[in-house]
Amino acid sequence: MNPHRRSPFVIAAATMVYIFLYAPIVVLILYSFNASRANVKFEGFITQFSDRIEMDGSMVEASPCGPFHWYCDLAKNDDVMEAAQNTLIIAFTATIIATTIGTMAAIALQRYDFKIKPFSQLTLYIPIVIPEIVMGIGILTLFSQTFGWLNNVLHLAGDARLALGIGTVTVSHIAFMVPFVTLVVQARLQGFDKSFEEAAMDLGANEWVTFRRVTFPMILPGVLSGALLAFTLSLDDFVITFFTNGPGSTTLPIYVYGLLRRIITPQVNALSTVWILVVFIAVVLLQWLQNREEKIKH
Amino acid sequence: MLQRLRESKSMQGTLLALPTTAWLFVLLIIPLILTLVVSFGQRTPDGNVVYTFSLDNYIRLFGYSTDCSDGQASCFDPLYVNILWRSLSLAFNTTAIVIMMAYPLSYFIARAQPKQRNVFLFMVLIPLWTNFVIRVYAWMMLLRKEGAINAIIGWAAHLLGLHFTPLEMLYTPGAVLVGMVYEFLPFMILPIYTSLEKIDNSLYEAAADLGANALRTFLRVTLPLSMPGVVAGTILVFIPVMGTFIVSDILGGRQVILVGNLIQRQFLDARDPTFGSAASLILMVMTLIVTYFYTRKFGFGEEIVVA
Amino acid sequence: MKRNILLKGFALVISLSLLLAACGGGGSADSAADEGNGPKVTSSGFECPEPSPRMEVTSTELNVFVWTEYFPQDMIDCFELVYDIKLNRDEYSSNEEMYAKVAAGGTAYDLAQPTDYIIPLMIRQGLIQEMDHAKLPLMSNFDPNWMDQPFDPGNKYSIPYLAGTDAIIVNTDLVENVPTSWADLWNPEYAGRMVFLDDSRAVIGFTLITLGYDPNTTDPAQLEEAKEKLSQLVPNVKLFDSDSPKTALIGGDVDLGMTWTGEAFVANQENPAIQYIYPSEGPILWQDNWVLLNDAAHADAAYAWMSYIMQGDVFWLTIRDFQYTNPNQAALDYAKANQTDVYDAYFNSPITNPPAEAVANGFGIEDVGEATPLYDNIWVEVKGGN
Repeated sequence: MNPHRRSPFVIAAATMVYIFLYAPIVVLILYSFNASRANVKFEGFITQFSDRIEMDGSMVEASPCGPFHWYCDLAKNDDVMEAAQNTLIIAFTATIIATTIGTMAAIALQRYDFKIKPFSQLTLYIPIVIPEIVMGIGILTLFSQTFGWLNNVLHLAGDARLALGIGTVTVSHIAFMVPFVTLVVQARLQGFDKSFEEAAMDLGANEWVTFRRVTFPMILPGVLSGALLAFTLSLDDFVITFFTNGPGSTTLPIYVYGLLRRIITPQVNALSTVWILVVFIAVVLLQWLQNREEKIKH
Repeated sequence: MLQRLRESKSMQGTLLALPTTAWLFVLLIIPLILTLVVSFGQRTPDGNVVYTFSLDNYIRLFGYSTDCSDGQASCFDPLYVNILWRSLSLAFNTTAIVIMMAYPLSYFIARAQPKQRNVFLFMVLIPLWTNFVIRVYAWMMLLRKEGAINAIIGWAAHLLGLHFTPLEMLYTPGAVLVGMVYEFLPFMILPIYTSLEKIDNSLYEAAADLGANALRTFLRVTLPLSMPGVVAGTILVFIPVMGTFIVSDILGGRQVILVGNLIQRQFLDARDPTFGSAASLILMVMTLIVTYFYTRKFGFGEEIVVA
Repeated sequence: MKRNILLKGFALVISLSLLLAACGGGGSADSAADEGNGPKVTSSGFECPEPSPRMEVTSTELNVFVWTEYFPQDMIDCFELVYDIKLNRDEYSSNEEMYAKVAAGGTAYDLAQPTDYIIPLMIRQGLIQEMDHAKLPLMSNFDPNWMDQPFDPGNKYSIPYLAGTDAIIVNTDLVENVPTSWADLWNPEYAGRMVFLDDSRAVIGFTLITLGYDPNTTDPAQLEEAKEKLSQLVPNVKLFDSDSPKTALIGGDVDLGMTWTGEAFVANQENPAIQYIYPSEGPILWQDNWVLLNDAAHADAAYAWMSYIMQGDVFWLTIRDFQYTNPNQAALDYAKANQTDVYDAYFNSPITNPPAEAVANGFGIEDVGEATPLYDNIWVEVKGGN
């Protein structure tokens, strides 16, 4: 039996699901070219390439971008750039820290026995099985109740005061990312063939050298997988950020949510399309890299 | 001291695990304990917390009310129980629908030619990596009265000469369900795919050799072996749906109240952090109970690690 | 090997992100760049007036907590340009939400914009500090009718921003029996076609009015009645929205409802069939104000901001962009003299400039002190039962 043959039912179902997945995205992208500020009905593409164009029955200022009017609008939007910057800074910092301590924890849990082991294991499972809002509310409660007291005790004032902002968001992101990193690295360690390490030790390497030259390179794919997963989680996070952010620490998901609370112009669609495009490019490049790797192997 | 460290494996282990454990202790355990403490408190008229030990919030959540419309001393006010039930139902329904939609797709990808497989897989990743809030907004555009879906149906009806009143799809519980399904579908596709992909082709051949037809092969070979993936996917879908408030906020017109909305509102508009904390903990407990029984029956789902 | 792919993939992600971050950093620096001694111009071409008086400011940032859709972008841009201060803005769409966040602690806001009734509560809780009038010489720009209000005698803690009404809004093309009173909203004909503000005090308030009670009552029996009546109305509401209620109206998702001045004005401009109707029992009157939070880290920047926007040649931007009732006389005079189109639109519209009879029996929302939880609970309960 041909393992690659599939029944027409499966093919039909799969096609429907793909359509379901992509229909909203297609509409989103289409409406980013909408010649209507109210963005309710699709009024067609903007065809005029001039400084002032007609829209919704009145003349509107426009940098001569033609159909890409809303993208130019978006480029002038400093708030978006700042939000994107914040999102990346937080994601990077959190990923680096979470990956480091998560890998350490994974090694500890997989290979050592120590007194607080059951407690460590338990605390790592909890963030995975509780809804984010529970964690978000909890962390907010913690910060709200303690910052006032801490500020008084440590006599912090002005900008040095502890308050909700980039710091709190980053710290909270690390908290929910670490369990995923640890889980991934632990899984990698589970299937690990210890004979390599034993061989290295037999050849005279001490524990640290063995780790550095044998163990770590072999678990590196797992560590990077965990890091990538953590990075993605941070980029897309809404709930935890919603409860822990402050002025000036707006991330892109929070910003988009904010946009939805105002007049929704096609600028939101333009932003969404740009985001989708970036994701698409990243995915295509990864695919291309993988193909090249396969080709080199053969 | 350093010497002792080198010799004691136990100390080494503790040291390695310490940063993570400490981090989670401060940012997870302590907040949960705080939430518990606050949940036993009472609110002042201005919205502050009085730290006492009172079960009022929990009693109120489960429906015991002394404020009865028919003059009785106490009665059952199902308001919050309804909200909890509504959230559970939504989570179950979403998960069920997501499984039904994800399985054929995962199966399709798993059985595709290896070269094509990556392409199909990446086609799933693109919506997954597109921002959560953006995806909800996309459905707003589709479902509103003058949105894309009504426009297409209306155009088709016009062609056929039929009269058509635009469907009211947005700001209904149905919209919330569709939104939830859409948000979490990719989270089910990937784990199921991972476990299906691991199934050795020789198993299929063996089944065929033994005379099994397609359906039997599926039921006796494929389905059982893919269960870890289904379980992992369920955990990745069910738990977030229980706690999401954005989808019901944006697509439900602030009328569809789920537990997530209740909690959020208690902390913001209703200024009752004690009641919100109680609701938050009940949500957590409910989720843990369901997850516990589910994983006991079906296993923990190693495919949760989609590396 | 899989490792190499992952390594390369990772390197790719890192470099892409760094690139984006670099671009983003460069972008924001450019737009706030000093243009030398010439007049500062915003990205939309508006020429910024100089601040007079110019305040001494050492802070480089200002954190404000404000209503959604309430600030002309030019106003913000100009302030950032003339003072070289970064304005960070977080938004809320209900006073209760604002209060909850500020009272919880841990926030870093300098200024907030409460509506009248919540100011006494904030004073009581010690959340806001007294304003130093010496630093606000332009306070005389305000129309005295909006100053020295009962909720803040002598304007010790607040200065006005914008004011307006809550009233009924109707798309007269789509609705046959146009409602003329709050009580009319209970008409079953309107079921599933209405948008309401997500504002507990306003909605409970007009319900109490239809029962003939004081909208700020603390009597539990009266409130219970209001709750009963309101729970008959809520199922007829299609959507609660305090962010941008006009969107649903203009988009056709709803046909009528209740909303604020500014939303009604914009909706009416988009579609003249959408009209703002003052209910016969009287609309709700309100006034938004600036307050300085107690632990504001950038108080000097806060005063500079308030002072700058009080100028007539800056504040008139609100008449142009967000049409609410304007308490700043200097701004109105400026617009009348220099921007007659904008001024006429404002002056002639019954929405922004309500006729005296319409608001004669208008009522305001007031702080209810101990009874606050009663109102909060009613709101959760009528909205939660679906």
